[in-house]
Formats: sequence, structure tokens, C-alpha cells
Amino acid sequence: MDELVIILVRGVGVGAVFSLVAMSFNVVCNSSGILNFAQGNLLVMGGLCAYLLLPGDPEPIHWLVSLPLSALLVAAFLALQGWITLLPLRSSVEQHSWLITTMAVSVMIGAVILVWQGPFALNVRSPFPNFPLFGTRTPMSYLLAVACAVFWYVVLRWFHSRTQTGLAMSALSQDLDAARAAGIQVRRLQILSFAISGLIVGSSGFVAAPVIKISADSGISYVLNGFIAAVVGGLGNNLGALIGGPLVGVAAMFAAFRFGGQLQNAFSLALLIAVLMLRPQGLFGRMAARRV
Amino acid sequence: MSEAAANLAPAGQVSRPPGIVDRELCLGIAIIAIAILIPSLAGSIYWTYTVLLLGLYVTVAVLQNMLLGDAGQVSFGQGAVFGVAAYTCGIMAGMHGYGFATSLLFGIPAGILVGSLFALPALRVQGYYLGFVTLSAAVVFPELLVAFNDYTNGINGIRVNVPALNRPFFAGITPLCVIVFLLAAGALVLHAWLRRQRLGQRMVIAAASPEAAMTLGFSPGHVRSAAFVIAAVGTAMAGALYVPLVGFVSPSAFHVELSIFFFFSVIVGGQGRLIGPIAGVAVLYLLPNALLVDLVQYRLLGYGAVALLIMLLFPDGIVGTIAKRLGAGRPGAEFGELALAMPNSALATAARPGLAVDIADARKTYGKLAALDGVNLQVRAGSIHGLVGPNGSGKTTLLNAISGFIALDSGRIAALGRDTTSQAAWRTARLGIGRTFQTPRVFDALSIRENIEVAAAGPLQLPEAWTAAKPDQLPHAQRRLLEVLRVVASNAELLLLDEPAAGLSPAERRDFAQLLRTLRDRLGKTIVFVEHDLALVWRVADQITVLDAGRVIADGKPADIVAEKHVRALFTGAADA
Repeated sequence: MDELVIILVRGVGVGAVFSLVAMSFNVVCNSSGILNFAQGNLLVMGGLCAYLLLPGDPEPIHWLVSLPLSALLVAAFLALQGWITLLPLRSSVEQHSWLITTMAVSVMIGAVILVWQGPFALNVRSPFPNFPLFGTRTPMSYLLAVACAVFWYVVLRWFHSRTQTGLAMSALSQDLDAARAAGIQVRRLQILSFAISGLIVGSSGFVAAPVIKISADSGISYVLNGFIAAVVGGLGNNLGALIGGPLVGVAAMFAAFRFGGQLQNAFSLALLIAVLMLRPQGLFGRMAARRV
Repeated sequence: MSEAAANLAPAGQVSRPPGIVDRELCLGIAIIAIAILIPSLAGSIYWTYTVLLLGLYVTVAVLQNMLLGDAGQVSFGQGAVFGVAAYTCGIMAGMHGYGFATSLLFGIPAGILVGSLFALPALRVQGYYLGFVTLSAAVVFPELLVAFNDYTNGINGIRVNVPALNRPFFAGITPLCVIVFLLAAGALVLHAWLRRQRLGQRMVIAAASPEAAMTLGFSPGHVRSAAFVIAAVGTAMAGALYVPLVGFVSPSAFHVELSIFFFFSVIVGGQGRLIGPIAGVAVLYLLPNALLVDLVQYRLLGYGAVALLIMLLFPDGIVGTIAKRLGAGRPGAEFGELALAMPNSALATAARPGLAVDIADARKTYGKLAALDGVNLQVRAGSIHGLVGPNGSGKTTLLNAISGFIALDSGRIAALGRDTTSQAAWRTARLGIGRTFQTPRVFDALSIRENIEVAAAGPLQLPEAWTAAKPDQLPHAQRRLLEVLRVVASNAELLLLDEPAAGLSPAERRDFAQLLRTLRDRLGKTIVFVEHDLALVWRVADQITVLDAGRVIADGKPADIVAEKHVRALFTGAADA
């Protein structure tokens, strides 16, 4: 019973982080068709910001000041990355260069963290105490990650349906050429979407810093699980991402408890293949994974 | 007849411009030979080892190049295939005491099995989906090695000595040197050879356009699977040879970085270029190692930075950019004239009595929209049949239904005397039903000649100028014509053409009308075509069907239906537009 509660609570908490990565995928993917492989390492970068900005024994006020700062830092980095990624797409007929450029950026971030901070995972202390839940003491960061996921879901929903810019961005996701013909500045909006995805992963990496693994090699695991959450929910659909994340998180946590942490990613991979084989459009998806 | 067209057997008459590829191939083999010979003869153990390791990496990268550049399959997991073969050999030889030769019997099939498994998701998903699945496999593989440490010796790894392969038999040259050379050079030869085969060309087509592949009568999934299996065979062999070369396997040697290294090598060298992977492996491996000998941890940073810079500065890769500078392509001159002269009696099909197409009560809805709302259509064999109607009236949907790209909700379709109602597109194509698209499916990586020959049933007499010229030099309208020629060359009896004349000049339209008549009268083809140029349709068609909102509103000979009210509205509507 205790075990089940722990699996559920932590699974949902970790899953919320996957949801956030999935939503950050969706924002960029909807506006440009690009999936940013570096998103996992950028989440780790948000965590790294927490490690660098917060003092060893932080107070809530430090936390409140550093949170927007770290979100903005990662967003600025992503805007730059977006600009670079979109550069070759302007002229070349090769429309898959982003597969390589985003992967290359991801590898470089990991390598810089390795050179700078060494191979070991960094620990961040939370300013908030653990809270009791069904008789277990749960780190507050899990709860904050869930709150963060809901927050960004609501904000994105408002942004896409209520603001002029957000509406234009939704138009991009439906028909790029039509949007261009309607006078929408496509390139600028696409870079903005990279920046927004940076706000999302930057803030989530910061908020979840005490419970995620901040190291040179952990980004890839978050990018994979975030992608799986996005696919489970239906790529491009934020509600799907919000629900898909905890599903993946609980499944991965269950695998970790039952079969050991080494098999967590293997379990996620099996889940990904199962979803792609049985329901490639995901739970709420409209984009088809299949071209023919 | 068209069964022969769809046969996967290699066609001897398919030819590439001689010289270019062969020169690249010879250069590649020479580079590998010299790179292995010099350090062996000089007696440098370190450099012999490094070069042999690079030889194995080149083998994997060459096959990855085939997989990505030709077959268009994004696999980030080739390192896992390599690793599975190496580890299986290591386990059999190092932990269970089998000889290395025996361990190969386990290792190579194990690698091939894993590589072939990648083909399974590739049947369902493409592009970054496939990239993520294979990437996950590459991440998971070393984790599994650690998790099942009872069987794999975990992070301690396995030591294997194979002295027989490492003993020099002549001036520092070991049997392993010879084997690695044969493997790497063999991978290059295989790639060059494959490109001249029908299978290789089909990979290019399936990658560029699955729809076109199906129109030409083959399943893109089968071709993709073949590419994965071929790549897996060579990759597994290279993986197995890692064991005697390094003498030690451990999980850290097969991390996801290895797979990314293989992928980047292809891109940096020049995707699709035969010797690109040699340049890519050399630059990515040697540059960081030579410049930063003491700082191994900077190597990853080097991979990433080099790949990023190459992609931004030389999107065609090292070899691709050099080749582009050296030789620019010649324009495909007078394509139009030559094209109209191409159809000859060798391509004739026997006349068939009766109906070529018979559609009864075809219905298809998309959501609430009825694209086909009870359509009946009869097309006489050996006739030219025009389909006209406003945008969204169901013309293209009807062509899609006949050629098997969509399944009807209800109703029946018979084509060329067979019931094709629920047949897959590539099967329909094999019956002798050819199809062109509004956006021409032309393969820029192939020459104009190859674009036609890829569908050909037999040897063709084609103009010399088409052997080297690439279709990317043709204007849009002529690309459309090229697609028509390809369908004609496939010996299809029934040609379904979707707006074939769009973008042609008035003079070209007259020629095109003549081409359609030639196809009907001299070659006995049946032609169904969708066209917005009503004057052209009325001039050339024997029978015309007018569609509106998924229904047939007029059907008959051009002179008979021109007076009908619906049809007149169509003309005036077109005049208003």
C-alpha cells in the first residue's frame, strides 16, 4: 500500500516534469514542425541555474527571485538556438537539417556541463519542507512541478486563444503557407515559440531541481520521456501532454520499483513502441505519425 | 506485362553516368587501403589500432549513409546494433569459453536481429518518430548491459583475446588488417552497387515519395525494411570485429554517443555521397583526438560543434560541397521536344475490349463532407476520358479511389477487368494502372533517364541528353511531363493523370493534346485525366464526366453535353475566375 502511494505520488510528480517537456515540444513543433532534441538538456540547464543561483541553504525569497531569472536565461538561450536552427531552413531545400542542429546543440550542452561541472549529479536543496501525504513524506518539489505543469497549461491555453500573437501562432500550426500569405511574420513567431518553450523548461528545471538528476548525461532521458509523454497524449496537443506525462511517470516509477532503476528507460521505450504501433495519433492527437 | 514492371529483380539496363561514382569508389577503397597499410608497415601499434577502429566505424557509417541518404531512414540506433553484435561475441568467447569463430555465429545474427527490429517501427512511423525510437534503443542498450550483469559481467566488462588475428604475417600486417580492409571496402562496393540496382533506386523513390512508390507498384515499407536489414548485416559484422581488435567490451563503449557519432559522420561527410562517411569519420574522430589529445572530455564538445558548424556552413557536407564546386550539372535541353517524341510502339499495350473502369455508387465522406456522393463512372478501354468540375467536386478523390490511395465507404470499383475496390495502391499499380499527381513526384537525386527507367518494364530508347541531366533543372510544367513519361514507360494500360497540363504554355498544350492522342491511338492506352483547362478537355477527350459536390452532373460526348445548363455554368464560372 505504502509502495503504491509512493509510486503514484512520485510518478505523478516526475510525470509533471515530462508533461512540461512535452508542452515545450508542442509549442515549437506547432509553429515550425521542429522537435528540439536539446529540450531535455535545457531542462537540466534550468536545474543548473537553480544550483548556481540558489545559496546552499536557500530561503523562499531567494527561490522566488531566482525562478523568473532562470526561466528568462533559458528562454534567451533558446531564442538564440531557434534562430540558429532556422537559419539553414531559409534557403536550403534540405528541410531536415534541424534533426542534426538540435541534436548537435544537445550534445554540446551536455559536453559543456561535463567539462564545467564534472560527471557527477549536482544536488539542489529546496527551501520548502517535505509535506505529508497519505502517510509518506513527499518533497514539496513534486507538488510544485505539478503546479508548474498546470500553470503552463493554463497560460498556453489563454495565450493561444486570447492573444493576437497566440492566435497567429495557432494559425502557423494549421497552415504555414496560408499564414505567410495572410501577412504573418512567420520567422519572428517561430523564434518567439522557441523562447516560450525556453520559459517553460527553464522554469520547470528550476522548480523541479531538487528532484531531477542534474548531470551531463541525464538530459537525454528527459527528452525521451518528454517525447513519449507528448506521443502518448498526441503530439501537438497540450491537454494530451498534461495527462500523458503522469501516465508515463507512473509507469516509469512502477518499473523502477518493481524491476530496478536501470530498467526505467527500457520500460518507457516499450511504452513508446506500443503507443506508436497501436495508436500513433496518441490519446488526443490530430497529427498522424505516419506519412502513408 | 506490368507484373514484369513491378518485379524486384535487378534490371541490367539501368545505367548511371559512368565515371563519377566509379571514381569515387576507387578513391574510397584506395584511401582505406593506404590508411591501413602505412601504420602497419611503419610498425606503429597505436596508429594501426586507431586506423582499424576507424575502418570498423567507416563500415557502419557507410551503411548508415545508405540508410539515411538513399532510403531516407533516420536511425539514431546503429551503435546499438554494433554493440549487440560485439557484446554477444564477447559473452560467448569471454564468459563461456567458445572460440572467437564460433562466437561470430551468435554475435552477427544477434546484431542483425536488433537492426532488423528497427524496421518494425519504420513500417509504421517515419522521420523524427523513428529517430526517437532508435535513439531510445541506443540509450537503453548500455543500461540493459548493466541491469543484467549476471549475464554480461556488468560494468566490469569482458576481456577477450584473439591472438591468431593479431599476429602479423607480413611486415606488421595482421589478418585483422586484411579483414577490416575487406569489410570497409566491401561496404563501399555494396553501397555503390546497390545504387545501380533497382532496389537501390526504389529506396530513393520510397524516401522521396511513398505515394509515388505505390504508384510504381511497390510497397515503400518492404523497401525500407530491406534497407534496415542490409545495414544491420554489415554493422553487425563490424561490431563482431570490434572484439578481437580492442580485446575488451564494456557498457561504456556503446553509449548513445557512439550512435550519434555514426549519424553525425554521415552528415559531416556529406549525406548521400559515397565517400562522405570516410571524410566524416576521419574529421569527427581524428580532429578532436589530434588537437585535444590530453582532454578526452572535450571530444563530445568537438563532435557537437563540428556537426553544427558543418550544417550551417556546408549543408551538403564536406564531400558534397567539394563535389558541387568541382562539377556543375548540365541543363536538360529541349526536354519538351524529346519527351513528346519518346513514346514508341515498343510501349504499346494490346487493345482490350469493353470497359477499362467501371465504378458503381462510390461514396466517401470526410467528416461531414461528402467527397464522393454516389458516383457512377464508366470509362471505355482505349479512350480519353476527361474529368472536370469546380474545386472540391471530388475529381482527385475519384482518381485516388481508382488507384487505391483511399478506400471507399461503400460502392464498387472494377478496373481493367478486376475488382479493385479494396486493394492497396501498390497492388493496383501492378495491375497496370499508372498515376500522376498534381504536385509532380520527381526524384531530384536521380537523373532524368533514371526517373523514367525506374518504372520501366523493359529496355528503353531514351535520348542521350537525359543520362546525366538532373530533373531539378527542369521547369515545373516539364517535371509534370516527366512524370507522365514515367507512367507510360511502366507499360501501364490505364493512365490516371491529375492536372497534367497545368503550367504548360499554349504551344505546349497543343503538343500535349497530341501526346495524349498518340498514347491512345498508337499505344492503345486508356487515359483518365482531371483538367481545369476546359478548352483542352473538349478538344482531346472522347468522353467527359462533370462532377460537382461529389455527384456526376453530366456525362457524355463533348459535343453532346456542351449545351447542358450545368456545363455552361462551368464555362462561365471558369471565365469569371
